[in-house]
Amino acid sequence: MSGETSSSLASPAAVAVPFKPPVVRRGLSAIVINHPTFVVGLAILTVVFVLALTADILYPGDPMDMVGPPLLWPFQDMEYPLGTDSLGRDVAAGLVYGARVSLIIGFSAASIGLLIGTLVGAIGGFFGGLIDNALARLTELFQTVPTFLLVIVIVAIGEPSLPVMALAIGIASWPTIARLVRAQFRSLRQQDFVMAARSLGYSNTRIIFMEILPNALPPVVVTASVMVAGAILTETGLSFLNMGDPNLVSWGSMIGGGREMLRTAWYLTALPGIATALTVLALNLIGDGLNEIFNPRMRQR
Amino acid sequence: MTIEVRAQARQPGRSRTQTGLKTTLAALALCATALSTTAFSGTARAETATMVMATEPPTLVSLTNVATTALGVSAKVTEGLLEYDENLNPKPQLAIAWEVSPDGLTYTFKLRDGVRWHDGKPFTADDVAYSLNLLKKVHPRGRTTFANVTSIDTPDPQTVVLHLSKPAPYLLKAFAAAETPIIAKHIYENTDPASNPNGNAPIGTGPFKFKEWSRGNYIAYERNDDYWGKPDPKIDQLVVKFIPDAAARSIAFESGGVDFGYRTPVALSDLERLKKLPNLKFETKGAAYSSNVTRLEFNLDNPYFKDHKVREAVARALDRKVIVNTIHYGAAIPTSSPIAPGLKAFHDPAPSPYTYDIKAANKLLDEAGYAPKEGKTRFHVTLDYNPITTEGRRLAEYIRASLSRIGIAVDLRAQDISAFVKRIYTDRDFDFTVNGASNLFDPTVGVQRLYWSKSFVKGVPFSNSTHYSNPEVDQLLEQAAVENDPVKRKEQFRKFQEIVGRDIPDLNLVQPVFLTVHNTKVHDLVTTADGVEGNLAHVEIK
Repeated sequence: MSGETSSSLASPAAVAVPFKPPVVRRGLSAIVINHPTFVVGLAILTVVFVLALTADILYPGDPMDMVGPPLLWPFQDMEYPLGTDSLGRDVAAGLVYGARVSLIIGFSAASIGLLIGTLVGAIGGFFGGLIDNALARLTELFQTVPTFLLVIVIVAIGEPSLPVMALAIGIASWPTIARLVRAQFRSLRQQDFVMAARSLGYSNTRIIFMEILPNALPPVVVTASVMVAGAILTETGLSFLNMGDPNLVSWGSMIGGGREMLRTAWYLTALPGIATALTVLALNLIGDGLNEIFNPRMRQR
Repeated sequence: MTIEVRAQARQPGRSRTQTGLKTTLAALALCATALSTTAFSGTARAETATMVMATEPPTLVSLTNVATTALGVSAKVTEGLLEYDENLNPKPQLAIAWEVSPDGLTYTFKLRDGVRWHDGKPFTADDVAYSLNLLKKVHPRGRTTFANVTSIDTPDPQTVVLHLSKPAPYLLKAFAAAETPIIAKHIYENTDPASNPNGNAPIGTGPFKFKEWSRGNYIAYERNDDYWGKPDPKIDQLVVKFIPDAAARSIAFESGGVDFGYRTPVALSDLERLKKLPNLKFETKGAAYSSNVTRLEFNLDNPYFKDHKVREAVARALDRKVIVNTIHYGAAIPTSSPIAPGLKAFHDPAPSPYTYDIKAANKLLDEAGYAPKEGKTRFHVTLDYNPITTEGRRLAEYIRASLSRIGIAVDLRAQDISAFVKRIYTDRDFDFTVNGASNLFDPTVGVQRLYWSKSFVKGVPFSNSTHYSNPEVDQLLEQAAVENDPVKRKEQFRKFQEIVGRDIPDLNLVQPVFLTVHNTKVHDLVTTADGVEGNLAHVEIK
């Protein structure tokens, strides 16, 4: 996980200064020139976002509807530019609606993971002692269970629907964030500005959320973008195994459905596969880019 | 990190319960493929036939467990009294002659002389009587099949006489090896039949002797040199391999790694490609002993589906042609009757009175009082589908798309098989469901349970799920169960089919065609109604 790389950010010098993004001053062009991969990632993700948002306009109606003859190849019939699957459903419509599912799952699962992870990490790191000990053990407990198996178990107990899947992935992925936030808090709580806040009589809650947390955020944001990618992949895996929501088109279920026809109609697995790979790549590029931008030592190079 | 997640994503297999295990099994099976071909190639490789199955059987004798996989291997060692031709006419196996008294109350079987168990002990009428009595107690269907059998006599070692309290017109079709296995009394006497070690290393009278069961890999059988049916068997070795992944099975067929498989052992989507290969043959025969019907079952306690008009509208919105050609890639036969076309003696080919007609369907729903609201939608229902076949989900997706055209919004609900069975048969927490039902060898055994009001019993899987109750149908089914005259019985079943076809407590859609796939070098594979489930005595490789 990127926990290792970002833990270097935890050095007090790097983040002791209250977080002010100095990049802004250096202009947008500087970002483009200095971090081309970041821009590429952002561009891909933007395209995916726009497609997901305009799905209803591009393809009104149900993407699961059987609209054409089955197993049309891409470009064979321009009414279905990317072909149709074995039930005669439009692959292009599926990809667009699948983008929506992937993004919703990715961001909501990452948010859930962020929320739990930040709370657990912040409380543990700030208070230390017995609370920290207990929370650290809890974190380790969750970390020892393989993420994907835990998600499968939760979805199997619940129902394979979007909220349950997002919750399951969130629950399975928070330990990374918790450990990161805890490390940040442990170093930051010794800082002068925290002392100052204490001497001003601020409450613990205020110190945690208003003083320390903003300073602890940069590495968390970097990790979060990678978490979104991980969540998208996990959802794809679930749907591939036929454990996704059967009422929604997802890239994973498209790959799973097309797998049987890998030898005869490979485009059915290739197209959603490419979509997944590109989106995940974009999020990883963004994560790397953010890391470079936030990390002053890397910026000086 | 991404790679890490990917790798984890691949690990758990397809089903919820057996996740990682299945993939491991697949890997092992592939290793076994390599191992076994080398291991067995030392001596005359040409005389080994290899059968493929997707999963491993729980036991090698279908005595207390009738899992499809157990039925697939049992008969190679453990034979039955009779076998059947494609029209389910009986032929001799361990019994060489049989007679049913005119009143249908006495069945007399003359047994084959000079048959020995694989351990050398002679096979006698005592074994048969013991087996049938045991089956009545411990076989999942034995209690029903042999319900009317009151006593079994063995006047001499070569004769068995069954006495019945009432006629059982289906009984003579029940003596196939996998359905009614004849086991050795000296092995099972005073033991627990379910845990008897014979289930893992069977002793029988069959053409093949059990040799080895390498768990997760293969089962090996060797030629029974003492077989009563000489010169059969003509092969030296029979190996059953397990390959859980459909794509891997296709490759095994292509490469010659396996010689034959049954119940359509490859993905339907792959059929068209495989049919072009010169080394493979496809056989539709050998599936008559167990025809399935794929059905859409309504919960008649549901406020929408208790209305006949709504059910008729659903019936008129579904096109069986699409279900055959697109959902089943052509490998299915349309049927509107619960008695499958495969059961030729009883199937009524009359089409459903409710033909495909979207306009009429919409009109019916208007009449039923479900005018469209909020756009086009009339009402919402949830469709559960039996998860054991991939076609089940595809069919559910088709139904969802079709019913959206008449304003019925359908949500699909996915769950594993145990959750599905509990939901439908115990909790009855469903609206309608895509399900399958096996006809077995007779409508009384396979179909009655689906419509008889007395088989609406909560908690009994694959019984009357719709809660259908029609006194006329009950009476017809009860009459047919004890009707000795085949002509009258056929008429009773015809009337039954007409009534349920009109009442539509469920929609019978198609009978999936079960294909046997085999290498061209395999000959005489399918000679009986149960095909590859039979004893395979005649199989030859040349």
